[in-house]
Amino acid sequence: MAASAYWRTRLHRYRLLGNKCAACGKVFFPPRLVCSYCGSAKLEEYKLAERGKLVEYTVVYSAPKGYDAVVPYVVGIVELENGVRVVAQITDVDVNEVKEGMEVELTIRRLPEQLEGGMICYTYKFRPVIG
Amino acid sequence: MKCWPMRDVAVISIGYTRVSEHWEKSLKGLFVEASLKALESAGLSAKSLDGIYVANSLSGYIQGQTNLANVLADSLGLYDKFAISIDAGGASGALAIHEAYRDVAHGIRDLVLVCGVEKMSEASTQEIMSALTSVQDQEQFEYMGATVHSLAALIYKTYLKRYKVRQEEVVLMSVVDHEHALTCSHAQYPFRLSVEAIMDSALLAEPVRVLEAPSPSDGAAAIIMCPHEMAKELGLPHARVAASEVARDRINLMEREDLLDMRALVEASRRAYEVANVKPSDLSFAELYDDYSVMGVIALEKLGLCDPGKGVELLKSGEVMLKGSMPVNTFGGLKARGAPLGAIGIYQAAEAFLQLTNSAGPNQVKNARIGLTHTSCGFNSLVVINLFEACC
Repeated sequence: MAASAYWRTRLHRYRLLGNKCAACGKVFFPPRLVCSYCGSAKLEEYKLAERGKLVEYTVVYSAPKGYDAVVPYVVGIVELENGVRVVAQITDVDVNEVKEGMEVELTIRRLPEQLEGGMICYTYKFRPVIG
Repeated sequence: MKCWPMRDVAVISIGYTRVSEHWEKSLKGLFVEASLKALESAGLSAKSLDGIYVANSLSGYIQGQTNLANVLADSLGLYDKFAISIDAGGASGALAIHEAYRDVAHGIRDLVLVCGVEKMSEASTQEIMSALTSVQDQEQFEYMGATVHSLAALIYKTYLKRYKVRQEEVVLMSVVDHEHALTCSHAQYPFRLSVEAIMDSALLAEPVRVLEAPSPSDGAAAIIMCPHEMAKELGLPHARVAASEVARDRINLMEREDLLDMRALVEASRRAYEVANVKPSDLSFAELYDDYSVMGVIALEKLGLCDPGKGVELLKSGEVMLKGSMPVNTFGGLKARGAPLGAIGIYQAAEAFLQLTNSAGPNQVKNARIGLTHTSCGFNSLVVINLFEACC
């Protein structure tokens, strides 16, 4: 990924910032340019909840470049407290202990990929809530 | 406004390579081989064509070859004919047929060649997985480690839970494919596969196993299309295009109301049945886009071949076998015939042609009158349903 492409998406990746259609109220993550429900191009920034529930997950064994060293790892669908669903990695959890329905929270983690010039990249992941 | 076709369109000839790892053949070599076979079997020369439609998805990614239709038309010795490339991931081939069909139906061109070609063996398995994931929105999934297999796994687990079926039942889809490929001379994997062997194979993303998804492959398939009247004049065996419908759905699975909706598949097939004036039960056979076994099972249901959640029951009934009442994937489907990505829809059409002209040999379905091909990409975010009908 180019540094500029990474930079453009920093807000949604670091702040879990999506957007909401001003016309029909549908929330999107990642943010969209045009609402896929009503076609409106008026979308407002919308901060997603940072906690939610793991509604489905899988354990990845065949990994893309950069992730070979960390297999197996968990990818799941998190339903956030304000109802939005996102696909993300679930971290800080043993693949044998991950459970559907588990409470999870946002955490920002480093990506294996390092951009030209040594720029380090981060993204959102979710981890089990302790206690 | 609905635009009705003006002329009936027929497929008059086919040609293809075996689906395999063709180390000795280039992308161009595969394209030329399939195209010349289709031309030769119709007794036509390339010069007689009015246009070429090239379906391919990954040549820019794997071979670094862009501007494909221009380059491939040239490789066939044609420098003065219309040529266009069509890329829609796994749906490329069927979408190219759709475009050619429309052009012929509306009188824009008469005699056209549609060829799908893909050469995946020149990339590593990991690169292929990334290439297949690139059909999704690149800003979204792969950079964080979510592969196309992991998305399939999320759909798979949702399906297993909702309908309370076991994976051992779903993988029967791949077992059926391999059974039908046994007598298919162009199949990548013409051998029998057991439920146990599939369940013992390595995990790609739990529960998806290696042996319930296709492997990378090379292949090219071509068909020649023309107005139905011209096909009759030429006196060639032919099959009529009874419908060609395209529908789309949200690419981002998280934006869909339900992971198992597959709205584009429901919509495209509903429209195709309407245009051809047939019911699902009228089909003589169906070629499904089973890029994962569970996607084939879901397709059985969404195409109306059985009730929701009853796909595995249909598989277990044996009615999907060549001698059954609703044969599917009659030459091995994506899993066993093989799935050279951009060429898939053309292989399906070529197989439908073989069935409908009573030239499918040991894979012949009895009294084949009308066949359906389902081709898609991005978990049915783009679906093409082509219906072909026998003419004799």
